[in-house]
Amino acid sequence: MAAVCGGTNTGKSLIANALVGCEISRSVPEAARTRHPVVSLPRGLAERIDLAAVFPGFTPRPWSGEDDALDPTEANLLVWREDAGSDQPQRLVLLDTPDIDGTLRDNWRRAELIRNACDVIVAVLTQQKYNDATVRDFFSAAAAAGKTMIVIFNMVDWPAQRQLLAGWLRTFMLETGAEPAAVYAAPFDRESAAAGRIEFHSLVELTPDGTGVDLRQRLSGCDFERIKLASMEGAFRVVVDPAGGAGTWLNAFEAAAGEWQEARRVLSDESRVRVEMPTAPREIVWNEIWKWLEPRRSGFDLTVSRVYHVAGQGVKWAARRVGLARTEEERREDFAALELAALKRALGDFIDRLDEICRTNPRLAATLGDRLVEADRSSWYADLGRRHAALPIVSNDYRSFARDKLDAFARDNPDMVRWILTGLNVGAVARPAITVGLAMAGAAAVPAAAATAGGLTTLVHHVGDVVVGGAATLAGEGALGLTVAGLKPLIESLFAGWSAERSRVLAETLHDVVFGDQLEEIDRLAGAGSRPEVARARHLLMHCARELPQ
Amino acid sequence: MSEMQSGGEAGDSSPAAPDFADFDDLVESLARWADSGPDWPPARRVRAEWAQVAPRLDRTRRELSRMLVVGVIGGTGTGKSTLVNALAGCEVTTASDVARPTTTTPIVVVATDVDCSWLPIDAMQGRVVRSDSPAVANIVLVDCPDPDTQADEPQAARAHPPRPSDTNRNRDMLATVLPACDVLLLVATAQKYRSWIVAREVQAFAPGRPLLFVQTHASRDPDIRADWRRELESQGFAVPRIFRLDALEAAQRASAGLVPEPGFQELLTAIDVELVGRAARRVRRTGAIDLTAWFVGQSRVHLEPCRDAVTQFAAGVGAERRRLEGILAAAIEGKLQTNRTAWQRLLTDEVVDRWHGGPFAMFLHVVSAIGSFWTRLRPGGGLIGQLLSGHAPEYVAGHGSWQAVEELGLAEADVEQSRSILAGLAGRAKISAPLVGRARLDDTQAGETVGTLLERTGRWLASGIERLVSDRRGRVDGPLLRWTFEGLFTSLIVIVLGRAGWNYFYGHLWQGRPVDGSGFLQESFVWIILWGFLLRWLLFMWVRLGLHRDITALAARLPAARLVDPLIHDFATAADAAQGYLQAGDRLAVDVRSLTVSLDDPASGLGRMRA
Repeated sequence: MAAVCGGTNTGKSLIANALVGCEISRSVPEAARTRHPVVSLPRGLAERIDLAAVFPGFTPRPWSGEDDALDPTEANLLVWREDAGSDQPQRLVLLDTPDIDGTLRDNWRRAELIRNACDVIVAVLTQQKYNDATVRDFFSAAAAAGKTMIVIFNMVDWPAQRQLLAGWLRTFMLETGAEPAAVYAAPFDRESAAAGRIEFHSLVELTPDGTGVDLRQRLSGCDFERIKLASMEGAFRVVVDPAGGAGTWLNAFEAAAGEWQEARRVLSDESRVRVEMPTAPREIVWNEIWKWLEPRRSGFDLTVSRVYHVAGQGVKWAARRVGLARTEEERREDFAALELAALKRALGDFIDRLDEICRTNPRLAATLGDRLVEADRSSWYADLGRRHAALPIVSNDYRSFARDKLDAFARDNPDMVRWILTGLNVGAVARPAITVGLAMAGAAAVPAAAATAGGLTTLVHHVGDVVVGGAATLAGEGALGLTVAGLKPLIESLFAGWSAERSRVLAETLHDVVFGDQLEEIDRLAGAGSRPEVARARHLLMHCARELPQ
Repeated sequence: MSEMQSGGEAGDSSPAAPDFADFDDLVESLARWADSGPDWPPARRVRAEWAQVAPRLDRTRRELSRMLVVGVIGGTGTGKSTLVNALAGCEVTTASDVARPTTTTPIVVVATDVDCSWLPIDAMQGRVVRSDSPAVANIVLVDCPDPDTQADEPQAARAHPPRPSDTNRNRDMLATVLPACDVLLLVATAQKYRSWIVAREVQAFAPGRPLLFVQTHASRDPDIRADWRRELESQGFAVPRIFRLDALEAAQRASAGLVPEPGFQELLTAIDVELVGRAARRVRRTGAIDLTAWFVGQSRVHLEPCRDAVTQFAAGVGAERRRLEGILAAAIEGKLQTNRTAWQRLLTDEVVDRWHGGPFAMFLHVVSAIGSFWTRLRPGGGLIGQLLSGHAPEYVAGHGSWQAVEELGLAEADVEQSRSILAGLAGRAKISAPLVGRARLDDTQAGETVGTLLERTGRWLASGIERLVSDRRGRVDGPLLRWTFEGLFTSLIVIVLGRAGWNYFYGHLWQGRPVDGSGFLQESFVWIILWGFLLRWLLFMWVRLGLHRDITALAARLPAARLVDPLIHDFATAADAAQGYLQAGDRLAVDVRSLTVSLDDPASGLGRMRA
């Protein structure tokens, strides 16, 4: 496969047409008009090969006219035609390419894709362009990839400039590292070029093998096997090149994964939010304990308890009337308002911290920054409010959690439960004090206790666990048995579990609304470096590098 | 030396045309605007942009009539040097096809008798060559290095071994030469007119520099001027004309002293008409206005992406302010409405303070004395309670606590929510610290803002309550009401006393019936007290009338008092600043556009970069 490459208006299309023997690509005076590569295939080849696979990135389109290549579409087209001149060598595929230095960068990219896919590059150089930076860069890459190169100096003032060509070629070779297999000069003759006749003077003195073979013969009589091997070897060398090959790409890949790991670490370390949950309404937890105790209590105890209950209701009613106490409903409303405020503060705290993290970690800024900036934060707060409002005061999850806890406690401390039950029987009179004393304990929760409530808190992973902290410390612990080993942690964990479950709405909002799937994404990226594919690719690369002759 | 040759300001001493005075004003405004920008990244970029543009505008103004410096630029091999030689009439610079690039040192062609000490030759790293050619008699011609042979990235970034082009600094050199040029003469060939690198460099230096476009190699290449014009126009240039000539032929004819070929002659005429003498003034002026328009365009590029975000931010500030005011107003209204006893006491005090001397007044005094004893046992909570009980607390900015605000009904979490939302909106508009603070106020800030909030709220509430009270004070001030109540109350006493007197004087002394026991008087006393309470109740019903409605109206007036402003003051200020800056920029853009239109010279043959 040979591609004719060069700058704008250097006559690539004319040369390609001359080589094919008919007009496959329209040549026009305006520069950079060839927008898509045109390939001329030998007879019958189109059925045997898949052009889209041979030229990755292109959509093959059969030739319909000379203007096909001028289609200004965005898509990468590859116009193909089977041997129009009917004397194309059987094994030679010839391409005309777009320019490599014009103002349309798409053209460059298409030419580069063709360059990478071809074995032989016919470099069209002119007096004006043989040392342009963009031209040099293009052919440097071809030389580095071991492409066989044939240089044509086009539009030469023949023979006036003939003695200059050696100097031009030397500059070109020094600048690109290319070692052309043959060098030709095409004289400046617009009329005959337009008529499809271009005279290629072989520059024997500049050709390594010293033979002055005609360009078309040279192309058709190429040692295809050797060229293919050279091209293949060149391709391998590009891939295993320690400075710019796949190894560096893998390094960059791993480095990026490392940065993601760091980002994940920063995120989980720095973004812990302490929810300063308000003291939970005491009856919520306590009711669960009473409910659990109920079947275990004696009839006498229950009767006394009922009497207390009735008496207590009366006292409460009186207290409410004089404004000294609030109803349970009001207490819950007060609590819900305080709790929502605490959750909102935690959310604000969290966003603020996230902002700060994004300022220092570029990776997180790239993924989360946009999300943080573009999102409508009021919708986060609205979401939190909605979730909180929908939260039942005591969920079934919590009920079963509390029962399990109490059962486990009873199993582990049968004596203590018996003791408590006896105490309830004997000391029924003293119970109101116990209730009040215990109730005052409130949601005393330490992180450890929250962790024991792990069955309930969906810890938003990577976000750091949503640690539930209580502003209140255990109060009134002397009231009854709270100092007894085992009971205090039990009560603590019951309160902590309740608070943890309540604060789960925050975790849910953070996970569902603030982060979306970004956390999973960060996790995936952080883990990318340690995937087996990477190690395997490294191994293969090493193997390839060993196999290649030095 | 002719006046032109001196190259100085004396060249054209006529006062600046009035249109140019307008332009000076505009430049002043732009300078003020660019410098007044808030500490905001887009505004900073505008300021940096202005820092580039301002010295050029300044120089243009100072050197309005000095002869023009024409930079000849184009890709390598397009015949820049050949053209310069043709214009200079002899070989002043090497033009050849032996090696690319040819020109590696800028050649400055100056007429023999011109003082060019004002040219920054050293900064340009150039070499001065003198010429007698009439074409360069009144301009300075600079043969610039090409932009397209220097590699894009430095050697260090490339993998291959060192190459000759690694030392090529032509494009860097071009960047030092072009700032000294007033006009660009862009040379292209059929091969190079679509060169990406050349286009990039021209784009970078074209703003404010009128251009001449020349296609060379006319004898060999087809005429590509129509396509080049399309290409240039797509890059944003106005292209009145493109010259087409063969520089080699022109140079040969010039050195042989022959008549120039028509294409070259056109270029010579254009230089004479468009660039020489008084035209220089016009060119500089056009360049300066184009540069200004370009600056405005660049500012727009920096600011436009933030415009929507700023608008949303400003709207967000309004929305959050309303939200906080809503919360505060609802809480204050609720507290005022429910605090019945405090109102009762306050209004009682008003009446008691005003009414003296009568029996009913005395009754009210006694009841209030007893009542105040009871209420003192339960002091009202929070700012409102204290205000209603007549003890206005003194808040000083810097010493506020959240607790006091939360007692008012505005939770810290609510404020933080607003600030967090605003921080998000500000971030979208690229507004960040130090323009705005963080979502959570630190202790000092909190003390300050909360203190201000409490102090303002205290004053506003005190005056509001005072208004409510004074409205009602008017109702009890009238003598008619007072004497009615006194009369009603006194009448019962008079009846009781009359009855007692009748019994005593008529029944006992006159008719000799025994004196009634004290039972009647005790009974009467109870009735008088009950009557007193009834009247008191009626009086306060009358005084309280409409209180509920008035409190609602008071709460509705809360937004006008701007009470919550201190809480989001930084955001509000930043939003105003950004919006003001954008609007000022818009106004200036309109001014620049109208000035550009009014000064446009359709006859000019020079190309320009459109803003």
